[in-house]
Amino acid sequence: MSTTPEPAGFGGRRLSPADVRDVRFGRSSVFRPGYDDVEVDRFLERVGEELSRLHAEKAELRDRVHALQARLDDDGPRPEAPSAQAVGILAAAQQTADQYVAEAEAISRVMTAEAREHYEEQVREAREKVGAMIQAAHEAASRIAAAQGTAAVAAQSGTVDTRTEEELQEQVRYLQAFGQACRAQLRAYLEALLADVEREWGAASPQAVPVAPRPQAEPLRAGRASADPAPAAVTAAPDPAASGAAPDGEGSGAAEPRTVEAAAVLLSDESLRGQEAGRRQ
Amino acid sequence: MRANFAKAAAAGDEAPLWFYAHLFLTHPETRQLFPVSMAHQRDRLFAALGEVVARVDDLDSLVPILQQLGRDHRKFGTVTEHYPAVGASLLATLEHFDEEWDEALAADWTAAYELVASVMVQAADEMSDQPPWWDAEVVAHERRTVDTAVLRLRSKVPLPYRPGESISLETELRPRLWRYYSPANAFRPDGELEIHARAQPGGPVSTALVRQVHVGDVLRLGPPVDHMRFDPDSDRDLLLVAGGTGLAPLKAIVDHVARNGAQRRVDLFVGVRLEEDLYDREDLTRLAQDNPWLTVTVAVSEDEHTQFAHGDVGEVVARSGPWGSREAYVAGPPAMVDDTVGRLRQQGLPEERIRTEVFAPSRPGPDVHGEVTT
Repeated sequence: MSTTPEPAGFGGRRLSPADVRDVRFGRSSVFRPGYDDVEVDRFLERVGEELSRLHAEKAELRDRVHALQARLDDDGPRPEAPSAQAVGILAAAQQTADQYVAEAEAISRVMTAEAREHYEEQVREAREKVGAMIQAAHEAASRIAAAQGTAAVAAQSGTVDTRTEEELQEQVRYLQAFGQACRAQLRAYLEALLADVEREWGAASPQAVPVAPRPQAEPLRAGRASADPAPAAVTAAPDPAASGAAPDGEGSGAAEPRTVEAAAVLLSDESLRGQEAGRRQ
Repeated sequence: MRANFAKAAAAGDEAPLWFYAHLFLTHPETRQLFPVSMAHQRDRLFAALGEVVARVDDLDSLVPILQQLGRDHRKFGTVTEHYPAVGASLLATLEHFDEEWDEALAADWTAAYELVASVMVQAADEMSDQPPWWDAEVVAHERRTVDTAVLRLRSKVPLPYRPGESISLETELRPRLWRYYSPANAFRPDGELEIHARAQPGGPVSTALVRQVHVGDVLRLGPPVDHMRFDPDSDRDLLLVAGGTGLAPLKAIVDHVARNGAQRRVDLFVGVRLEEDLYDREDLTRLAQDNPWLTVTVAVSEDEHTQFAHGDVGEVVARSGPWGSREAYVAGPPAMVDDTVGRLRQQGLPEERIRTEVFAPSRPGPDVHGEVTT
């Protein structure tokens, strides 16, 4: 890929040393002899040698240019190989970073597992307590019903009966809603814990973890029901009443004192009301 | 070459550590292709190299592995120009850990690496009609339980996949960490995908998906991987058994059946520990109500007072049988899958009609065999 123009030789071809060596001059006329053959030949010899030398030199230079160009192209802007020290420093830095990430992940794992365990335990306890309370309420209901049943043999009033039952129904609903409220609170508590865990983790965004909406409790009438017979209603299967019939302030005020007292074991009545109010919005 | 590789491998974590440090110093632009923590990456690099060295005389089995690797590397942002950079650092590493390094060894490794790179590059180039990854916007994000979220994504360019397949995804909150998730719906031309994510304790990607990703965020999706091998053309009735977020690929199968004339009876069993873990209750109720061919049964393992069936889902499936004529797909945690498969086999369901996908806590990319790590 020569770019320098070559002097045009015979018929425009590049003049090669052979061209010069093989050239033959004709004689112009008998009376005027041409150049001295010997001198011409000697000169041509020298021209040939000079051209050979130049060609060789040019080829060598061209090769060197190519080699240098190739090195530039291949290696690009890469500097010399990094020193062992540099490699060592970067490797150590990377290792340190890896350890931090691994530790953060381990801490997060342990904390999340503990938080979840804690949460499940609390939910289980709360559920057991609520179950026991509802059970007690039902027993009380049947006792009162029985007592009033005997009383009703003599008396003629059926209204007392139904009113008591209504009250008890209301109480049951209250307790169910109370159970929901307990779970909502525990959930909020756990999520706060998880938010802490998140903050521990390197890139975690510090914003508060949003409290997910409670799944609407409605029975999934999906498919063939349990192979077991339906469990007793006492276990408080989530009821549509949860959203519709949540007790208001009056309701809880009207509840049997015993229940309120029991409720206070888990939560203050005030916080319960706050929870209910929040959920209704 | 094997002896030389053994020397580097014997150096344990040191060798890949040295390799990556060398690579990042000579080609700083490659650093961004990797996650913050390189620990798992280093394990994987030498596992993959070991595989290549072990099979270097057996091109028939090596080439498909390399092709898969090449295709899979597209979503990582790997381009042809990165291959020589990696090759140079690899040679430098092998030389560094071998005192008997010589020109002949260098020539052998150069030739071997060039072959590996050319197979990978070619396989990647053959996929050039597909984007290397798909950007998908989060259009809905619902926290369903304390640690489960359902996300709706919409990819601008639809990502084609079949029901039961998984796709890998990456969030910029956890750069360069790809995890596999199964869409919970059949392919939609509008590119909408439903993803079920459960935050694994200490899991960087899953916790980010559940707790930090918001509507409007953009995730990257990788090409699908078929682990379940759902047969869309079969007309056999189906038995689907899900544990945890294993529900997702099975819901996609239900969706597929619904969209294809509902010619198959489908029994879907969903196992949860407690009732409140049933994160997709609303959709399951709706599906069961809308589709007479579908029966949904919920099994609750740790609450004996549940309104649903009580017991491990495998046990509930077994006592609702027989299932001998069905085609079964089981997806969920390892123990649940093993238990269910064991019981189905006992009931005489032939092996080839039981297909499974195990959902384990961490699901990094496919290994050198293209397998999803389970």
